[in-house]
Amino acid sequence: MKGFRPLGRILALWRGRAFWLGLGVAVSLAALAVAVALMERAGVITARAFLGVAVAASGGMAALGVGRVMLRYAERMTTHAATFRALADLRVWFFRGLARRSAGGLGFRRAGDVLARLVNDVDALDGLYLRILVPLAGAVLLLPALVVLAGQRSLLLGMVLGLLFLLAAFVLPWFAARGTAAAGGELAAAGAGLRVAALDALSGLREVRAFGAEGRMLAEVQAREARLFALQRAQAQRGAIAQAAAFLCGQAAVLAVLLAGGIGPVAAVALAFVTVAAFEAAGGLPRAGALAGQAAAAAARVLEAAEGPEAMPDPARPAALPVRFDLRFEGVRFRWEAERAPVFDGLTLEIPAAARVAILGPSGIGKSSLAALALKVVAPEQGRVLLGGVDLALLPAAAVRTRIAWLSQATHLFDDTIRNNLLLGRPGADEAALWAALEAARIAEVVRALPEGLDSWVGEGGARFSGGQGRRLALARTLLSEAPILILDEPCAGLDAETERAFLATLNVVAEGRTVILIAHRLVGVEQLDRIWRVSAGHAVAAAA
Amino acid sequence: MEDQKRAARAWIRAQTAAGRAAARPVVTLALAGTLLAIGQAWCAGMLLGALLRGGRGGLGWLAAGFALAALARAGLGVMAERAAFAAGAAARRRLRSEALGALLATGPALLRRSHSGELAASVIDRIEALEGLFARWIPAATLALAGPALVALAALAADRLAALVLIGAGLAVPVAMALSGIGAAAASRRQFLAMTHLQTRFLDRVRGIATIVLAGRTENEANALARAAAELRVRTMRVLRVAFLSSAALDAAAAAALVGLAIRYALLLRAGALAGPGTALFVLLLVPEFFAPLRAFSAAYQDRMHAVAAAESLSALPPVPPAPAILPVRTVAAQGVSVAFEDVVLVWDPARGRALDGLSFRVPAGETLILAGPSGAGKSTVIEILLGFVRPDHGRVTINGADIASLVPQALARFTAWVGQRPMLFAGTIAGNIRFARPEATDAEVAEAARLAHVDRFAADLPRGLATPVGEGGFGLSGGQAQRIAIARAFLKDAPLLLLDEPTAHLDPQSEGEVLEGLRRLALGRTVILATHSALAHGFGGRRLDLRAGRTVAAAERGAA
Repeated sequence: MKGFRPLGRILALWRGRAFWLGLGVAVSLAALAVAVALMERAGVITARAFLGVAVAASGGMAALGVGRVMLRYAERMTTHAATFRALADLRVWFFRGLARRSAGGLGFRRAGDVLARLVNDVDALDGLYLRILVPLAGAVLLLPALVVLAGQRSLLLGMVLGLLFLLAAFVLPWFAARGTAAAGGELAAAGAGLRVAALDALSGLREVRAFGAEGRMLAEVQAREARLFALQRAQAQRGAIAQAAAFLCGQAAVLAVLLAGGIGPVAAVALAFVTVAAFEAAGGLPRAGALAGQAAAAAARVLEAAEGPEAMPDPARPAALPVRFDLRFEGVRFRWEAERAPVFDGLTLEIPAAARVAILGPSGIGKSSLAALALKVVAPEQGRVLLGGVDLALLPAAAVRTRIAWLSQATHLFDDTIRNNLLLGRPGADEAALWAALEAARIAEVVRALPEGLDSWVGEGGARFSGGQGRRLALARTLLSEAPILILDEPCAGLDAETERAFLATLNVVAEGRTVILIAHRLVGVEQLDRIWRVSAGHAVAAAA
Repeated sequence: MEDQKRAARAWIRAQTAAGRAAARPVVTLALAGTLLAIGQAWCAGMLLGALLRGGRGGLGWLAAGFALAALARAGLGVMAERAAFAAGAAARRRLRSEALGALLATGPALLRRSHSGELAASVIDRIEALEGLFARWIPAATLALAGPALVALAALAADRLAALVLIGAGLAVPVAMALSGIGAAAASRRQFLAMTHLQTRFLDRVRGIATIVLAGRTENEANALARAAAELRVRTMRVLRVAFLSSAALDAAAAAALVGLAIRYALLLRAGALAGPGTALFVLLLVPEFFAPLRAFSAAYQDRMHAVAAAESLSALPPVPPAPAILPVRTVAAQGVSVAFEDVVLVWDPARGRALDGLSFRVPAGETLILAGPSGAGKSTVIEILLGFVRPDHGRVTINGADIASLVPQALARFTAWVGQRPMLFAGTIAGNIRFARPEATDAEVAEAARLAHVDRFAADLPRGLATPVGEGGFGLSGGQAQRIAIARAFLKDAPLLLLDEPTAHLDPQSEGEVLEGLRRLALGRTVILATHSALAHGFGGRRLDLRAGRTVAAAERGAA
């Protein structure tokens, strides 16, 4: 049962959609009830006709028939509409959950894998309501109906039918669910593996061509595909066998009704018709069970990604945002992973508000960790980081990030227009502000020359621009933000010397009144700085400005 | 757009023809199942007839026949599913290899036009979406005719008029489906495009999730995602509203046939024109069997619509570029690779003008050429031409006198090593990423390359050294560290032509110095082309060529004068 707990969590997420989901189930049950009633009537009328008994007006039957067709249509529409609402909720919830846990980047969780999670796993959960819960509700309604209907005539027949129905609608699906729950995780992992291999080959087309690795990449994708197909085949086979077993239960039930003596011909024919209808309605349940197993594994993965422990939980009773914006590191000790050496040990430095400071040091020394600490992406193991005299641990991360803007080496340009990329820095910024930021980043000229100007598409990761141009667009976005502290982590990497000097000179003017923290491995000489720190061996040493 | 639709339809027709042979076992098994179902209907009809007459003689044989047929049908069902899976898997395997092969053959120029997430979606999701076409639609399309025909024949033997009623009701179904299906197909295509857009957007937002979170824009992006999903729901419901009408038409036709036949037999019985109820019941029980293949066909119709939409996106993939005319085999000696550009013009995007504008230069074998100039001057474009990522629009590029256009990409790759600006790190370990350059390299060779590129210096601090896994974009590694892995690849490759595109752009002076020393050692006896705008040029001996706006500075000044 434990394996199916994630499904319960997903259902709990849908509480807000209870009305739509409940409506779907209600319409579905009504459609089922009418279908069974129709079969029962049809059986009675046919049997009476053959016995030569006068047939009552069949107007009631016609009404049932029309009602059945219409209710089936209504059922399909309401259940699908409810599913899509629930699925939209799930996507958005997943994105929010992931966002809370991935401020530091996706880490070892590969983007291809995350995509597979959302698309495949959320789609697998699509069946949870429509193909599992709705038919299950129908079976719960049918079981007592069938037992009572048959039991009225013969207690033994009622028990036999009840047992067979229990087997087809509950026991077989349960075993199918158990079987696929075990394999479901493997299947999803194989699907994700195939996708990651394809994404590797396609995102790395440059490397693949330069190293002549086309054949190798294709072979890798084919190998992962073969693995996925083998698992899919086993899955299909299990489903087919459970399905065949449920079919045989239905056939045995019909035979039992036909051979049962002493219930009268009219009742026997009517009961046979009802039995056929009931087992037909429950016939999809073994497949639904197999699906439930898969959905449980998918749900577990979705939950793991979106509800794992939060690296930086917000304080229960956050302190008020400070009015000052000086930044202070006090005796900070920090490491990325427990088994790695500390990046900082006893780091102390102070950056007054509106100061211009540079933090220098060779690559890999942990200068970027300083930015991560200031942005509350990670927490120090020892010591404190203070913003305006308030410990960051007492402030909500989102509030800290409204005060500190970051341009990192990993800043992403979205596959969107230049305008939308810039607006991420300050939503609602007007045209003039956008152009001012582009001017400051020395990219306005290039953008103005584009036929579509601000509405030009930047391409994947800024692929339609050169490396330097892309970096300058990201820079414009950072400058656009209204945060009083700017952390620029190697803002000039990839710029040529001339552009770099021009940009740094501009920075002296544009960020007037804001704190500028420049993280770099060297200075070019035009920067007007109040203070310079050198980081080495886990400490910061003040150097001459 | 119209062309694309026509191409997709032609593609589906061709695939359907090809898939029919693979579907034959499924069809045969299903038809055998239908025959057994007819037998079961007969047994059940006779049983019910006997029941209504009150007689119980011979019931045992009928019941045994019914039970045996049920067992056989269950077995056939399992076999048919297995055959259907095999047909679908074989088709997917073939199509995926073809599509990915074409993308790999087209090469990196694709990434300027398409998102790699979109391309991966084509290769993975679009082709998975074709499963239903081969496993369900193609067999179902054949069975939708053959199955009911078989049942109608059985009915014909029992009651001619009943067979006509069944055939009439059966014919009404495809008419109703065609009427509702046209609208459904158009809506399905729109829904599919919306789905693709949603997936691409999500991958992009997930890749940049840190940027979104740190800009405090999580809520806005989540809301945008909710809006996109809501739009998708509206589109999908529009498809389904129509698609479900065809299911309702089928329900109505089946109900009408059943009621019509029941009334006919009731009247016949009252008139005493029917000997016993057995035959009548047999025909009535055939009605669901007659409609079952049509139901399966109706359910599989969705599979076909998905396939058409997927086919459109697949037919939009670039065609496989023609392989260069095979010239006599050229062996390129490791010591002697010379490169020449002759009046080369290249345009990436007509709106941005020429990236290279009549560029000419020569690099004799074993010499170093430094390409200098501001970003956007065309330095990287020169390197990309030499890597075979893109072909010049005009002019000639020769390697040892052979036109580059006459070399297959694999031949070109064999004698070039490359260090770019932003190396791609694949899923796997650091050692695996270095070995990418030469898969047959020994562990010792990989370790040596790591040492020469100073990868070992930072790897030593990692929990598992060179066996440390690296994720998307190499998390846990700085830009400079990723760059050193790329340099290690070049060391391992050991090729005669070394192409360096800003190899130290992300390194601090100390690492830059170390890497430079290694690169200089690697450059010995090789032809080197180095694109740079940094002081790196001074530390690297060689002839210098200044580029501006796709031309050499000298040529640009001549042009201006």
